[in-house]
Amino acid sequence: MKLRTPFRTAVLALIWGWMIVFVFLPNLLVIATSFLTRDDVHFIRLEGSLASYARLLDPVYAGVFTHSLYMALVTTGLCLLIGYPFAYIVSRLPQRHKPLLIFLVILPFWTNSLVRTYAMKLLLSANGLINQFLLGVGVIDAPLRMLYTEGAVIAGLVYVLLPFMILPLYAIFEQLRVDLLDASADLGAGRWRTFRYVVLPLTMPGVIAGCLLVLIPAVGMFYVADVLGGAKNLLVGNVIKSQFLDARDWPFGAAASIGLTVAMGLLLYAYYWSVRLARHRGEHGALA
Amino acid sequence: MKQLRSVLVIVLWVVANAALGVEEKTLYVYNWSEYLPEAVLEQFEQETGIKVVYSTFDSNEAMYAKLRLVDEKNSYDIAVPSTYYVSKMRRERLLAPIDKSKLTNFKHLDPKLINRPFDEGNQYSVPYLWGSTGIAINTTKVKPDTVTRWADLWDPKFKDRLLLTNDMREVFHLGLRILGYSGNETDPKHIEAAYEKLKTLMPNVRVFNSEAPRMPYLEGETDAGMIWNGEAYQAKQENAAIDYIYPAEGVALWMDNLVIPKNARHVAEAHVFIDFLLRPEIAKTISEEIGYASPNLAAVASLDEATRTNRTVYPSEEDLSNAEFQTDVGEAITVYEKYWELLKAGRE
Amino acid sequence: MRWLRGGYIALVYLMLYVPIVVLVVFSFNASKNPYRWGGASLYWYERLWHSDALLAAAGNSLLLATTAATVSTAIGTLTAIALHRYRFRGKRLLNGMLFVVMVSPDIVLAISLLALFILVGVKLGYLSLLLAHVTFCLPFVVVTVYSRLTSFNPQIIEAARDLGATELRMVRTVLLPIIFPAVMAGWLLGFTLSLDDVVVSTFVTGPTFEILPLRIYSMVRLGVKPEVNALATVLVLLSLIALVGSQLVLGKGRGERR
Repeated sequence: MKLRTPFRTAVLALIWGWMIVFVFLPNLLVIATSFLTRDDVHFIRLEGSLASYARLLDPVYAGVFTHSLYMALVTTGLCLLIGYPFAYIVSRLPQRHKPLLIFLVILPFWTNSLVRTYAMKLLLSANGLINQFLLGVGVIDAPLRMLYTEGAVIAGLVYVLLPFMILPLYAIFEQLRVDLLDASADLGAGRWRTFRYVVLPLTMPGVIAGCLLVLIPAVGMFYVADVLGGAKNLLVGNVIKSQFLDARDWPFGAAASIGLTVAMGLLLYAYYWSVRLARHRGEHGALA
Repeated sequence: MKQLRSVLVIVLWVVANAALGVEEKTLYVYNWSEYLPEAVLEQFEQETGIKVVYSTFDSNEAMYAKLRLVDEKNSYDIAVPSTYYVSKMRRERLLAPIDKSKLTNFKHLDPKLINRPFDEGNQYSVPYLWGSTGIAINTTKVKPDTVTRWADLWDPKFKDRLLLTNDMREVFHLGLRILGYSGNETDPKHIEAAYEKLKTLMPNVRVFNSEAPRMPYLEGETDAGMIWNGEAYQAKQENAAIDYIYPAEGVALWMDNLVIPKNARHVAEAHVFIDFLLRPEIAKTISEEIGYASPNLAAVASLDEATRTNRTVYPSEEDLSNAEFQTDVGEAITVYEKYWELLKAGRE
Repeated sequence: MRWLRGGYIALVYLMLYVPIVVLVVFSFNASKNPYRWGGASLYWYERLWHSDALLAAAGNSLLLATTAATVSTAIGTLTAIALHRYRFRGKRLLNGMLFVVMVSPDIVLAISLLALFILVGVKLGYLSLLLAHVTFCLPFVVVTVYSRLTSFNPQIIEAARDLGATELRMVRTVLLPIIFPAVMAGWLLGFTLSLDDVVVSTFVTGPTFEILPLRIYSMVRLGVKPEVNALATVLVLLSLIALVGSQLVLGKGRGERR
């Protein structure tokens, strides 16, 4: 459609306007801020400096970054491990059961994530339910220290983000044509080969979508680390929040934020690249 | 008909959105969490008809940062900084003067606690509560005699069992006092030394909490560590095993004060609120409920025996032998901030 | 083999629901100690009902979510239509920006908007929250509507245009009805995201407009408390009702459109 109608002009103006003011400009501000200096009263001083980035390289902060990424990756991995078979199994069930089953997955997704994190705390604390149960049954003598550990944060993240992994995977499995699987079997491929060379490549888009939807929030969800993590299990999100809302070191917070975005971008790219490689190999392998 | 319905919906919606601007007698209060009994608030609202919008913070730094963010059209009418932040905010002209002629109950305040250097003549602040930061232990898990000094917390047996308040100055008070320095140290080298010392404590620290420091003790997640005396008092009500200990190196003493931020929009109501809190019966109720010491002499005199003699709330001279009042450290605050962030981010 | 599969999904459902069930059960706990059962009671719900602050926050959140969802759906739908139908300069840039918003961690979005608001001098309150919420809901609406746009017969559109309808008329009378289910889905998604948001709201909120997630956040940070259990249960129930309602409405709509 090449006609320049007034409607088109108005719509484009609105969209461009919103995007520039609320996406382009703010991100530019953050980049700019990361190169400025902290000011006690007005948050930033117009004085260029790379000090914030240098501080990022401090082993302490680098440690938080890597640990946070590690926790997010483990969360993503666990969600994938749990969600993939789940989506597959549900998609193969009789049609009449599916709406209810998917409804049961969506309901937690619709429930406030903070509430769900808090529910985790009820289970994991020293006098929480899991400990009460184990103590009551006699399996342990003293309460297990589950809360305020790395495991608690990961458990919390997995619990909150699992539906985000399941839903795209389910969508892609629904689209998976059963006749392709039958064809593969007819051609003599065993279950493993079918999986590796047919199912896996075809479900890759769902896997990517799911992993993205889990990984990216996982590094920023400071409230999960706050409620379940204790002193030593900070996410990068916690550091950024603290810089902006407590320490008032905006340039450093901005630098950390940029660092995070870059790290995410790199991971995304690496993942995308490796998937293409796998698919490429997969196609060639299947033909071999 | 369909048009009319959509028009009605839109009108309703616009009205709802617009109604947000309308405010009858309201008061925006920004206070420490767990620092004002709900019943007191309710009584205030009922008596005066002023609606209170109540928000909380867990550290002076967070409060200050928030006030700075909403600076231009500041909407908090009352804030409750500690004395060293009153000095800072006064210097930076963030506070509105308080008209003491409107405070009929000001006379009840302890003369020793008013007209102090941090705010001479109490032009900008009115004392609210004072207290101390000391050691808490769960006596069912920790033998009481084994912990009498801050230094005892470094014992490896406390690995992963300690709570520290999420308070920069208080945690550094620990580090500095152990090294023999003042908690109000301004020498960057000494502060750095305190940081190095505190780093060695980190493996023992399980959680930082200033929202409600008593909770991890009550929940069994931590067995020892720092705590505010009022929190310890409240904890003991629920679990008699929680004890408050005045460490030999000295507790940190502080006082929190009511201030009116510069751009507050409900100054008159703010004065009514302050005067209300200064009433002896109200101050007494607050002290008895949450366990912090009131600077209101009339209130203290009318306290019930149990609270008045409770050493956790009202310490003896001996308890305070090495205690140190927290004062402003001026520029050195940035040194503290730098090391504090490093301390909290560290994973050791 | 069948049992293994059944067992597996049952396990996953268990994982998903045990915490919520625990929450609900304990909200009826008469004992103040949240870990010990003291008999059934509605006490905490009563307290909730009488808590003005919470009710006000809930009302605010609903207002915010409704408005944000509506505005973002409007802008998002138009964006999706523009991306689908028009060729224009910088289309890739626009796509890129949408992608950036969708892919950025919430917290990056939050600080960038905070920086903008402070620079421009927007008062932190309802307006700042609204603008922020609309912005992060946008890409989700766009994606939802766009995928619907790409999946139907474009000839209907061409036919309408050939018959002389203006672009605006065509969009209103032909295009919108067809993509309506996707638009509603986008609205619902925006509504959910807005109601749920803690990260962005923490940064751009002001004292004059208290929203529910932040209120809950400060309550949760105080520890395990029965009031929070009751509030959480109410939220779960509301989610359930909203979800069921939306399925009914959407399902009906889809049937009629066919």
